[in-house]
Amino acid sequence: MALAGATGAPSTKPSVTAGKERVSATAGRLGSPVRRNLPVYLAISPFYVLFAVFGVFPVVFSLYLSFQDWDGIGTMRFVGWQQYDWLLHDSVFWKSILNTFEIWFLSTVPMLFLALVIAFLLNSQIRYSMAYRVAYFIPNVTSMVAMTIVFGSVFAQAGLGNSLLKAVGLGEFGWMTSAWGVKVSLAIMIIWRWTGYNALIFLAGLQAIPAELYEAARVDGASSRQTLFRVVLPQLRPVVLFTVITSSINGLQIFTESQVLFQASNGYSTGGPGQEGMTIVLYLWQKAFGDHQFGYGAAIGWALFVIVAVFAAINWRLVARFGEDRPATSRRGRFNRAR
Amino acid sequence: MEPSLSRRRLLAASLGGTGAALLGLTGCGASSGSVSAGTGHLSVWYWSGALSTRLLAVSRKGVPGVPGLKVEGAEIGDTYGKLLTGLAARAYVPDITALNSDVASFFPHEDQFLDLNSLGADSLKSQYLDWKWQGGIAPSGRMIAFPIDCGPSALYYRKDIFDKAGLPSAPEELAQAASSWEDYFAVGRKLRSAQPGTFLVGNIASVFRMSLLQSRKQFVDRDNRFIGDQAHVKRCWDLAVESLRQKLSAKINDGTPDSNAAYAQGRIASACTAVWWMGGVKQTAAKTSGAWRVTRMPGGAANYGGSYLAITKYCRDPKGAFEFVKWLLGPANQLAAYQEMGLFPSTPAVYDKPAMREPDKFFGGQRPIDVFGPAAQQAPVVYFSPYEGNASTPVYQELTNVELLGKNPDKAWRDAMAAAEKTLSQKGVR
Repeated sequence: MALAGATGAPSTKPSVTAGKERVSATAGRLGSPVRRNLPVYLAISPFYVLFAVFGVFPVVFSLYLSFQDWDGIGTMRFVGWQQYDWLLHDSVFWKSILNTFEIWFLSTVPMLFLALVIAFLLNSQIRYSMAYRVAYFIPNVTSMVAMTIVFGSVFAQAGLGNSLLKAVGLGEFGWMTSAWGVKVSLAIMIIWRWTGYNALIFLAGLQAIPAELYEAARVDGASSRQTLFRVVLPQLRPVVLFTVITSSINGLQIFTESQVLFQASNGYSTGGPGQEGMTIVLYLWQKAFGDHQFGYGAAIGWALFVIVAVFAAINWRLVARFGEDRPATSRRGRFNRAR
Repeated sequence: MEPSLSRRRLLAASLGGTGAALLGLTGCGASSGSVSAGTGHLSVWYWSGALSTRLLAVSRKGVPGVPGLKVEGAEIGDTYGKLLTGLAARAYVPDITALNSDVASFFPHEDQFLDLNSLGADSLKSQYLDWKWQGGIAPSGRMIAFPIDCGPSALYYRKDIFDKAGLPSAPEELAQAASSWEDYFAVGRKLRSAQPGTFLVGNIASVFRMSLLQSRKQFVDRDNRFIGDQAHVKRCWDLAVESLRQKLSAKINDGTPDSNAAYAQGRIASACTAVWWMGGVKQTAAKTSGAWRVTRMPGGAANYGGSYLAITKYCRDPKGAFEFVKWLLGPANQLAAYQEMGLFPSTPAVYDKPAMREPDKFFGGQRPIDVFGPAAQQAPVVYFSPYEGNASTPVYQELTNVELLGKNPDKAWRDAMAAAEKTLSQKGVR
């Protein structure tokens, strides 16, 4: 700033001091509160310093890295858009996007449905409801690596999963050895981990619905089904939207489950048979830390950023549309009139 | 005391602390790249099971015969990744580090490590297995890695099951009946018809891996040319596919719960793998003790696994570090590490020692050293390029696709070659 002012200032004196005066003169009114509040700014600076070092710098550096060829130790070589060019012609990358979305869909739809059911159950008057809430939340804070190893025995050919199938009279299923088995297994692990979390969010949403609405519905003679579909679900819409958005963000970053479950004996993880479990982030990891193509890995990271951005835009449009026509309030208005 | 003053002091103190921490993060690395800078000892990084913990407990207090030298071991979970991070940052690099059997992947950056020959390693060469010694020498001739253990391989098999199937079951008989991979598969066909539901191999990837390790050439040659599409690799691929076609494979990945169960229940009756699998099979199939035997591997001797020690260029005391390496990995301590950890020595002179010649109950009183000793000495000198992992990953992927998803083997081979060439060309291999 001072330098820019110095070069820009039409001045007769040696320009550095002139520039300084100029800057301080223009910033005079702003400057004094800044100086007065300096201790406050200093007090909150540790966060910004750490965020700059561990948050901003890696983001900027990865963008820089995606235009380089680097194996992690040697010197970097500028390659322009080559990494992105390779990426667009990389069939495994496109497959990883498809896989990610398939696993996301397979996991999110049943997960949100299950979470809603659990939230309804938790919302009713039951004993030990606090204990249930804790129990449902525990999967979310369990070590994913440890759990994946446990799930490895569940999905084994002679594992718990197939024992259960046999017990109910069904045949064996190739949980980890067939194309769809791989995806279903990964989806089950995601469902297991996130159902309780989403159930608690739905529960909070349910508890925020005013009791008058239920009363009004009852006075109007609504059946419990009508109450569910005409009162509860419309009121829950913003909460549902929130869970859909967070599940999308988490779903696009599926990694640990696939990496640990399908680790090959040489330490590499390429996502199991047919690479059906190869997700975007797993491919990033494999290219960067397995093949030591850090530039390529960074390019995959930025491609993922674009995909997430597109997703966010779609979500934003959805939010905006819900804002325009508010079915929940219009129905509430009807109840009010009836009253 | 005035509250405002103490508050200001608190703020100043916390800011000062953050600043000092940040300075410390950068400042330390600038003055010296070694993680042991400012301490009274040298550091050695290794992963669980790579080095003898008892010997490291000794060197922590003082390396015997080297007054004043202390070396402290640090068990690092992801040694490779942490080392890479340190080397890239030129900070917090250990003085000495263990490198795995993929030591060649560091050859493009051999300047990060000291030439052990310049520290006097060449005078020790005759004590070590030649192929193992060669494995630590970069194409430029600099020796960057010193032999720890090795992984001579053998054919492990269930004598009781082979007996029941009417197959040759004494180690020497079987070695002669299954001297080539084709003969081994013929044994497997008889096994399958006599004992339905019993398989010769766990998976076809193991056939590919072990047969390729018998070859001096791998995926990339010394001139950095891709040779993975040539006959020496294709033959191993064909052997793997053949074992599937003849229904000799249990189609179970190594190291999975299914694999452990299959060995424990005798569904997989033999395995070609390294000496370190002795520890694994004794654990997973403890109840089958006494039923196992080992003999020469079909197709000849080969090595699978085994690690190295290297001294980084950031080492504060190269001479002391080499003295430590010499002490830790000399024949006497290689023997001690074998007894403690099962690390198979790379110094053949100790193979005659009584401690190595003890009969093993798990193998029905057989002396495993009678098989693994000669295998270690006969294993070929193999040239591993820095890119073997990059090139082999798609091949193993496609073998899995063939085995589990029934993919056409010819198409799978073409896809594997295309994927390997693509990754390698991106890494600058022609």
